[in-house]
Amino acid sequence: MKFILIDKVLSIEPGREIKATKSVSLAEEYLGDHFPAFPVLPGVLLLQGLIESASWLVRETEHFAHSMILLEQARNVKYKSFGAPGSQIEYTVKAKTIEENVSSFAAAGVIDEQEILTAKIGLRHFNLSEKDSAMATIDAKIIESLKERWKLLKS
Amino acid sequence: MGMSRDEIFEKVQEVLTDALGVDDDEVTEEATLMGDLGAESIDFLDIVFRLEKAFDIKIAREDLFPAESIMNNDELVHDGKFTEKGLQELRDKMPHTDISDFEKDPDINKLGDLFTVKAIINYLEGKLQAA
Repeated sequence: MKFILIDKVLSIEPGREIKATKSVSLAEEYLGDHFPAFPVLPGVLLLQGLIESASWLVRETEHFAHSMILLEQARNVKYKSFGAPGSQIEYTVKAKTIEENVSSFAAAGVIDEQEILTAKIGLRHFNLSEKDSAMATIDAKIIESLKERWKLLKS
Repeated sequence: MGMSRDEIFEKVQEVLTDALGVDDDEVTEEATLMGDLGAESIDFLDIVFRLEKAFDIKIAREDLFPAESIMNNDELVHDGKFTEKGLQELRDKMPHTDISDFEKDPDINKLGDLFTVKAIINYLEGKLQAA
């Protein structure tokens, strides 16, 4: 399974806000079990869409300074409705703070203006070379491929 | 077991704060698991497991959250809405839950609203009294 839970970035204001979309497709493997007669995007993957959006906002804001951006905290997560095949989820993530190694956001996903979920997200950003200088080339490779991915998302 | 409703509530509160990473004061009787406390599919499994441990009883997941077997049956849920047969199934499987509001618009997308903290407490009260 490819772990890419957003399809396209609609807009971005570095340091402030990002909007991205994900279209739910009947072809996504996990829908087969979730649920057989009522396929809907699993809640954790809805949340992942928000996390990915927030991560791209950090990367663009800090000019891809770090290879690793990980979820540190998800609070006040509320699932209000489901995302079914054929629907398009629009994620809006607003930065509260973006510092060198941590950031926090208020985020929401909507389908046709109906709120599907809201959450507060905290991220942590770092390079592998901070712990082990031999990892610097790996950091560079990761950052290169992230930059390639960004070209696809932003186009 | 002789537990008062308050005692049951406190234990349920603890289970939900542990399982969902929310604060105590968010876990009120009226709170819905999904809409207010952020529970989703994986969490339901976790919650049932923790309740079993906390109350030393066996709980079939379908007893508390009967959705899965119902959702997969076209006679019970048709075109995204519960049929009369489906609503009766809900009443039978969830006697601890008041579905009268849900019946007004039995949209499957709103099923989550039925899973409240109160419903869990009602279920446990009944189960513990019978024990």
